[in-house]
Amino acid sequence: MLPPKLNEIIELFEVLSDAEKREMLISYADGAKNQAPRDGEVFDLEDVRKDEECTDTVGVFLKVGEGSASHFRVTLGSQVQTLTRAMTSILCKGLEGLTPQEVLDVPADFVPRIVGADLVRQRSQTVYYILTRMKSAAKVWLNRQRALAESRK
Amino acid sequence: MTDPEYAHPDALVTTDWVAGHLHDPDIRLVESNEDILLYSTGHIPGAVHIDWRSDLQDQTVRDYISPEAFAALCAKHGITKNTTVIFYGDKSNWWSCYALWAFRLFGHENVKVMDGGRDKWVAEGGDLTREVPKYPGTEYPVPAKRYDDEIRAFYEDALKQSQDRKPLIDVRSPGEFKGEVTHMPEYPQEGVLRGGHVPGARSFPWKRAVGDDATFKSAAELRAIYETEAGLKPDEETVVYCRIGERSSHTWFVLTYLLGHKNVRNYDGSWTEWGNRVRAPIERSQ
Repeated sequence: MLPPKLNEIIELFEVLSDAEKREMLISYADGAKNQAPRDGEVFDLEDVRKDEECTDTVGVFLKVGEGSASHFRVTLGSQVQTLTRAMTSILCKGLEGLTPQEVLDVPADFVPRIVGADLVRQRSQTVYYILTRMKSAAKVWLNRQRALAESRK
Repeated sequence: MTDPEYAHPDALVTTDWVAGHLHDPDIRLVESNEDILLYSTGHIPGAVHIDWRSDLQDQTVRDYISPEAFAALCAKHGITKNTTVIFYGDKSNWWSCYALWAFRLFGHENVKVMDGGRDKWVAEGGDLTREVPKYPGTEYPVPAKRYDDEIRAFYEDALKQSQDRKPLIDVRSPGEFKGEVTHMPEYPQEGVLRGGHVPGARSFPWKRAVGDDATFKSAAELRAIYETEAGLKPDEETVVYCRIGERSSHTWFVLTYLLGHKNVRNYDGSWTEWGNRVRAPIERSQ
């Protein structure tokens, strides 16, 4: 079962032709800069990685608030690929408010419905990258919480 | 201006030169990127897009397209046998060098690279457009052969090169060469089972050939790296490889065009073939 906000975005993409999908992805990519952390925001987890060889820096920031609602922010270096930028915008909006466990439970098979089978075939790893990083952050947060609970026993 | 001391200085053009030839009917600008949507976000006016995977590779066999498909690709983009094709792209021109190498596989001789690639053009404030150009179709002759024997190495060739202890240059990052990682960290990866390098290969990462702005180093600097330090000789058989053949295309271009080495072949199967291949020997080092 997909989260409602993500499902809305998927349904928006599904009615588009491949060319229209690409235009929409570029539009989402343009909006990725709005997903960066704001001044004064504090996070429970910050995961910033840089690869000197080729990929630019991608930082994933996770705040888990009231009711265990997740709130993701992402920083993207200037060389990060357009598809990764687009998926950043989509996922920050689509996963907003889910619990970390719900983030982990989101199945990855929705991605082809957004980007189209052609792009998945050609850039299979790129399209899943941000989702993998977000899930990784959610998992680390959950593990920390479990460890904390254990230590209090 | 490009270094006149390069063996083939005309194989490189500057961003300024390109800006002054945007309407030259004898050239065709080709953008080739890793980022598959980048061209659609804006490109040099008049440039067409050729994708390394969907346009140049066969979709069912790990190989390149047929001569007929290559002729059709060129015809679609208004390229004739005499058109000078100028490649540029992202990632320090990895994929543009790969596309150039693929064009040479089909015998297209008039090829050049825009030094510094797309990033340099953008950094200098060069014009970008989202308008996709339409060129009248051409009758590109179907190439009579593909020049695999001349500029491409297969597994057996790389193995023989290794066994004969002939020059074999691994252009991946040092961590990949040592076997510490099997792909570039955080990079979209094509899976490989084992880390290391081809026995006898020497590590000369592609990046050593360029400056911070991705422009190629001078002929003297390149000679110092590849001829003095690596000991490569202009007439010697040399095989270069990386992970899927794109970074080694970059080094192939340096050795072939900028230093004038005559027997350089790109092992495009590279580590994704060697590292997965049953019974292929590997070496690891510190």
